[in-house]
Amino acid sequence: MDSSEAEIDRLLRRSMAAPVPRLPPDFDLVLSRKLGRSSERPNRYGQILLAGYGVISAVASIAVMRGQGLGWGMVAAMTLGPLAMLEAARRLRRGSLLGRSTGRGLEAPE
Amino acid sequence: MDDDSQLVALAQGGDEQAFADLFRRHGDAVFRLALSILGQGFAAEAQDVVQEVFLKVYHALASFRGEAQVSSWIYRITFNQAVNSKALARHQRPHLAEAVLSRAAAAEPGPHAQAETAQRDRVLGECIQALPEVYQSALRLYYWLGASVGEAAVLLDVPENTAKSYLHRARQLLGGMLKERGF
Repeated sequence: MDSSEAEIDRLLRRSMAAPVPRLPPDFDLVLSRKLGRSSERPNRYGQILLAGYGVISAVASIAVMRGQGLGWGMVAAMTLGPLAMLEAARRLRRGSLLGRSTGRGLEAPE
Repeated sequence: MDDDSQLVALAQGGDEQAFADLFRRHGDAVFRLALSILGQGFAAEAQDVVQEVFLKVYHALASFRGEAQVSSWIYRITFNQAVNSKALARHQRPHLAEAVLSRAAAAEPGPHAQAETAQRDRVLGECIQALPEVYQSALRLYYWLGASVGEAAVLLDVPENTAKSYLHRARQLLGGMLKERGF
């Protein structure tokens, strides 16, 4: 470090000497509340939207199937079958997430 | 797999405690990095940056594949978030340097010396603001926040020699700028 750089070093040390702020001790609580809110909102909105869509499409398809002369048994199978498949897919996805939590789904860092 | 990667893997599976641990490990470093970019007197804005960073990390956990170190990933998000917040923060409170000036001036003995110090500190502050962001951040980490060159390098996600050269180059540039302005 030459003399002019040393002078700047001295100036910087003096002019930047100030107390260092710290995160408040309860900051993790504030953050977890914020996280809760941010992840709740889209989920609730998505659930309402999905449920509304499901009800409307089920009513419409039942009306159409009955109009075509299908029996209640067939209508029930055609309506509840896809729901069962959705539930099976959801369970499979949850299973694979749990697998990832044990590290199996994550690449090792370099 | 290191501890951070394990925590990320657990958090990806919905483990809230793992995410809390991730915050405990990196929260302070993220805050210091945000402060180093925003500058003195912007602690509240730096806290906002920390919140935004961890919200982004939380929502991006599913897409994290471990190509980079977890800490590097978090610090990169922090750097970008803080730089984005900086313009707004400084626009909202442009006269902050005055408080720093009065504090510095009070430490000098005579009124003439006080005025000279105040003027030099004001110009120095302006010169620092004109430096590239990484240089400013390196300077504040080292001179204000007391980080070692190694710590600054980790936070800026560069090798230690690069952090050292940031400091060297920043001091050289400041020397030139101050000379140009008659100091």
